[in-house]
Amino acid sequence: MASNGLAFFEELDMKKLSKKAAKGWHLKRFRFAGYELEKGEAEDVIYNIDYRTLPVDEKDEYFELFAFGGWTHVCSSADMHIFKATPGTTPIYSDAESAIDKLARLAKPVNIVASIMLAISMILWIWMSVSSGTLQHIAQQGFACSLIITVPALMTSGGVYYHMWKSMRVNS
Amino acid sequence: MAALTEPRHGYAVMSLIEEKTKGTFIVGPASLYTIIKKLIAEKLIQIHDDTDSRRKVYILTRKGRDILLQDIERRKGMIYMAEQGLQRGHI
Repeated sequence: MASNGLAFFEELDMKKLSKKAAKGWHLKRFRFAGYELEKGEAEDVIYNIDYRTLPVDEKDEYFELFAFGGWTHVCSSADMHIFKATPGTTPIYSDAESAIDKLARLAKPVNIVASIMLAISMILWIWMSVSSGTLQHIAQQGFACSLIITVPALMTSGGVYYHMWKSMRVNS
Repeated sequence: MAALTEPRHGYAVMSLIEEKTKGTFIVGPASLYTIIKKLIAEKLIQIHDDTDSRRKVYILTRKGRDILLQDIERRKGMIYMAEQGLQRGHI
């Protein structure tokens, strides 16, 4: 199943996974830009995702807390962890403040990538403007290629901040 | 913080809150984990016993205790104000 982009449509992705599970397709693991599903029994479950860097000695405690809260760990990929639970279980984030913290953690790596890409694009753009001939041609190509990554990276960054702003408004 | 006046591990805090609020309020695990990490960073709680990596036990620090006492006073003031207001009120 393809992801819609977690920075923008996290909730939509989680709902889609629930729907798939109801039809017997269960989340198995993360894949590039999506999820790998596995055929099994139809199951009525809800999914939640958390972003967190876990030092080795804190993994046990973290997953134990979720298990106690009724959330079964499904899979992890780097700093992303997906859990499932029966419908009606208290969401993994029960208050707005810690939910905003979650978005702030997500924003960090996203912003780093976006800033680096923006810098590369700008350098190429300057190079493109000042050079001539073959060099200019190379810079032009490079600039066009860099935009392919820079534009989505900036959009992702914007998406995270949009959610943060929305959560803060609900909070106050 | 009130749950850590005595040594407790994370999920004992969760069940205590659920029990004390008669199930009307349940803390989500990701929220609780975030809060624990924050309180540790601000030195309001500390690790009391981490021999069991699944169930680390936390306890309020001296600083945490002072902050909690201040918070109790603040809340008492609010309750007093509300009670007085209701007594004088016309509803």
